[in-house]
Amino acid sequence: MTDKRELQKREAELEKGVERTRETRVYAPAVDIIEKNNDIVILADMPGVDENSVDITLEKDLLTIYGKVEPEIPENHRLVVSEYEIGDYQRTFTLSDEIDREHIRATVKDGVLKLVLPKAERAKTKKIPVTGNA
Amino acid sequence: MTLKNLVPSFGKKKVPVRYDHNPFSLLHEDMDKLFEDFFRGFEIEPFGGRLSSFRPDIEVSENDKEIKITAELPGMDEKDIDVSLSDNTLTISGEKKEEKESKGKDYYMKERTYGSFRRSIPIYAEIEPEKVDARFKKGVLTITLPKSEKEIEKKKKIAVKVE
Repeated sequence: MTDKRELQKREAELEKGVERTRETRVYAPAVDIIEKNNDIVILADMPGVDENSVDITLEKDLLTIYGKVEPEIPENHRLVVSEYEIGDYQRTFTLSDEIDREHIRATVKDGVLKLVLPKAERAKTKKIPVTGNA
Repeated sequence: MTLKNLVPSFGKKKVPVRYDHNPFSLLHEDMDKLFEDFFRGFEIEPFGGRLSSFRPDIEVSENDKEIKITAELPGMDEKDIDVSLSDNTLTISGEKKEEKESKGKDYYMKERTYGSFRRSIPIYAEIEPEKVDARFKKGVLTITLPKSEKEIEKKKKIAVKVE
């Protein structure tokens, strides 16, 4: 008996009145966002995506990642068990002014997209040395 | 549907339930899940039974000649994935390690899961164990299991003749 389990993938939200042009499901990838001293790192799980099929756009304050996944099921194959449905990935983040927009870097490895958003010079943490009053 | 039925049952084994479209039974299911999810963190299970939250999703497809199993394992290294086949059961196990960036406390958001996992998939067809092929690409593991000659032979189609 198969265990009825909720799909781990969450479908991406779509703005009202907007329709997709490709007939496929679109999921919001699970992300980790970590703040470091000099930058903010976003890690997104996007299995099936490589560096050629991911699109990153920055429009005003909105950073959008879009990963296109080609269905891997070959022809003449019959699907027996399907726990994850194949679909694209999309997620949008709002950036604050603290991010240095010119130097955002992105890499993809083993289906994980890593975005490094460097903080603008003025937003970096500065250590202020404390001196003893002599 | 009485109100009592809406109270979630703890610890009970899930019994396969006939799926019906009654909106209340759907609500019941949702509430059960909500309670289950909420109390999951408090369960004390020794030997790491359910401590790991990472459970990869799989897909299985087949045609006349082969069975293909794919698993989504984003962020894993092929060295950390173990695939074994015994007694018609294919087992995928491994550990998804937390990346070094992810360690520490300066989190804004933590949705990705880590930990060790094991998934066993029963194979009902006779296959050629020497020809099993496993590949890991773009965070997706693909295992191809070719069916044996005998198995292919068994499934010969019978042509329907017109008289």
